[in-house]
Amino acid sequence: MRSVRIWFTKKDTAKYISHLDLTRCLIRAFRRTDIPLWYTEGFNPHPHLVFGLSLPLGVEGENEILDIRLDDESYPDERVISELNRVTVPGIEFLKIDAPFQKPLFITSGLYEMTISSNNDENIRNTILEKINSYNIVIHKKTKKGEIKEINVSEHLTELEVLKESDSELQFSFILPAGNDFTINPIQFKDALISDFSPENISWSIVRKKLLVKDGTEFR
Amino acid sequence: MLHKKIESILPLVQKPARYTGGELNSVVKDKNNVDIRFAFCFPDTYEIGMSHLGLKILYGLINSKENYWCERVFAPDNDMEEAMRKNNIPLFGLESHDSLKDFDAVGFTLQYELSFSNVLNMLDLAGIPIKSEDRGDSLSDNPIIVAGGPCVVNPEPLADFIDCFQIGEGEEMMIDFLDLLNEYKKKNASRKEFLIAASQIEGIYVPSLYIVDYNEDGTIKQYTANDGAPSVVNKRIVSDLDNVYYPENFVVPFVEVVHDRVVHEIFRGCIRGCRFCQAGFWYRPIREKSVDTISKQSQKIACETGYDELSLCSLSSSDYTKITELLESLLSWATPQKINVALPSLRIDNFSDELREKLALVRRSGLTFAAEAGTQRLRNVINKNITEEEILGTCRKAFEGGWTAVKLYFMIGLPTETKEDVIGINELCQKVVEEFYSNPNKPKGKTVSVSAGVSSFVPKPCTPFQWEPQDSREEITAKQQLLKETVTSKKITFRFHTTDQIFLEAIFARGDRKLCKVIETAWKNGCTFDSWDDKFKYDVWMEAFNECGIDTAFYANRRRSYDEVLPWDHINSGISKEFLIKENEKAKKAETSMHCREQCNACGSNKLNGGKCDALSKNMVH
Repeated sequence: MRSVRIWFTKKDTAKYISHLDLTRCLIRAFRRTDIPLWYTEGFNPHPHLVFGLSLPLGVEGENEILDIRLDDESYPDERVISELNRVTVPGIEFLKIDAPFQKPLFITSGLYEMTISSNNDENIRNTILEKINSYNIVIHKKTKKGEIKEINVSEHLTELEVLKESDSELQFSFILPAGNDFTINPIQFKDALISDFSPENISWSIVRKKLLVKDGTEFR
Repeated sequence: MLHKKIESILPLVQKPARYTGGELNSVVKDKNNVDIRFAFCFPDTYEIGMSHLGLKILYGLINSKENYWCERVFAPDNDMEEAMRKNNIPLFGLESHDSLKDFDAVGFTLQYELSFSNVLNMLDLAGIPIKSEDRGDSLSDNPIIVAGGPCVVNPEPLADFIDCFQIGEGEEMMIDFLDLLNEYKKKNASRKEFLIAASQIEGIYVPSLYIVDYNEDGTIKQYTANDGAPSVVNKRIVSDLDNVYYPENFVVPFVEVVHDRVVHEIFRGCIRGCRFCQAGFWYRPIREKSVDTISKQSQKIACETGYDELSLCSLSSSDYTKITELLESLLSWATPQKINVALPSLRIDNFSDELREKLALVRRSGLTFAAEAGTQRLRNVINKNITEEEILGTCRKAFEGGWTAVKLYFMIGLPTETKEDVIGINELCQKVVEEFYSNPNKPKGKTVSVSAGVSSFVPKPCTPFQWEPQDSREEITAKQQLLKETVTSKKITFRFHTTDQIFLEAIFARGDRKLCKVIETAWKNGCTFDSWDDKFKYDVWMEAFNECGIDTAFYANRRRSYDEVLPWDHINSGISKEFLIKENEKAKKAETSMHCREQCNACGSNKLNGGKCDALSKNMVH
């Protein structure tokens, strides 16, 4: 048995696949290949799949990870990727495979890219930038105990950088906490930024570019 | 790629993956390179529609033709519908995201009567006029609206809305239909010209070519066929399941759907002849698929989908002649590939030890029996040929095998039912409980749970009970109450179906064309998703009946005479009226009929298949 880490994308329509559905979808993809997936032993054997960090529904991912175990140690790495890409669905592309270096638990934040544009040429840039500069972007988050907690996203938002701008469109990158202990959902962040507009008049996309560990370097 | 407008509302709705398409094995073609675009509509949510085998077969079949393209369409959930209406997004096909208006034909499958209002709602969401007469003169004005599925045993309640019905099995009829549409589209024919020509295809019923005259009492006087349409439309069947199209793969949904697995239909029809069961007669004659074909085709689909479960489907799986051989063949490749084989619709009377052992190899599911009635007398009336000893004997075996929960299904309101029959349901459940405690090896510290689902009888066309009245809502409620009062054991739980939906189902199952305006009115007043308990609006339906001056009891609670012209008399299911009358008379005397393998009862359906019926070892012609 051998553990491997597979890097993949989840883009376009695949961003609408929920995390639970993605698990089922990928297990079925493996079953369409000859990849010797390792199954747990016991009464109800199932394959062992560990994801780095789930993506919120509607957020795209460019560098997502999946750890699996292979039953046949000699099965070639490149073949895992080519077999998976042979049977995959639109939007999910398998990029590379390597040996796991860090545990998924080490992931603490994500580097995101967000684009917000107006469908009816409203000037949204200034509104959004004002919000960001107010240093007071409040969202509500349910704690594990079920209590609703107020969180100021600004206190956790780092490395915000505007990439592209016009009156009706703004593209920027930023880092937000994402990990086992504490996560801020970038969709909640986006909702807070566009709360003054009717949701139908706004187009948006959020891409998670990278997973990061505590010291700010890329997760490996 | 999704249209921008659709994309903008997807983040606002629940489970958006139901509206994106892009699933594995979904078929995208270049619309400029196809002659005919067909939209297969299931008038319920994605989760239900994607579970439907007929959709998988016809989707694969149409797309196997290079110049035809079939897309899937489901009823959008309430939140999606609201967002679509608000943003002027018409109902679209999941593959191209193009509006249904751009299609040449739009087909609905009618699986249950309570989906009728959704058909209208989907047409309206697509911007297609709901009534046939408003769809213009030319084929290019609007798609041809076609419908099939088991409800077309009596298509009349939808006669105003559907341009043509496909009566019976679609594997061959659908292609005949599309070929003809392709031909008439090319020569810029009018809708009327096309429909007249379509009425000549075996199995196709064009309601606008028939005129109905009524008697003063509201019953039907006569049907008159015009423009050369046949006076009786014969149900279309495929002759040989081994040589008819079957898909090589299924579309694999992202979201979890009701039946999310490989499904294989092992035979059509049913040898049993339970007198209340429409499917048991409608799908006749019996045609079996060979072990070899089932096994090969299932393995291919499992391979192409990655599913880890295979379910056999038929009306009574254990009546398949070579069931043991089939299970052995399937398990020989399924078990090494970690695929579970599930076998629903097992009858208790031939649930043998041998079969039980085979199924024990795969994951254990619950034990469910359809006893249908509480006393032997009433089981004889409905020709459900199981004895109490057989039910209890099977339960005993199941308890010895470690089962502790049994589900039983019953109906109340069956013809000739008395108080004793109703109380008998509880008595039978009580005997099952006692059976558990009489097992000397019963697991320590465990208790038994008997759960009884009690629905109400709905008389259906194409059954020996098609002339019978349904119990009134008051009678059904009283019987439910009686049953509740008789329960003394905490081990027994009863679940009752709501009488309101059953009542509506009874009206539409045997309705005529006068009900079209009721459906239209109820839909206009907000009725959709009537099969969903939480969305069903009984009061709005009753208001619609009032508004249209329609007496519900005339349809649901009236006994018909054998010589009354029934709304579906011009649809030939293959089952002869003489046979149904004979069976109805036997029911009154609580006499049973033998099943088709013991003795042919001459139902007449084999005539549709050149005298052939797989229920008999020798092919007999009547």
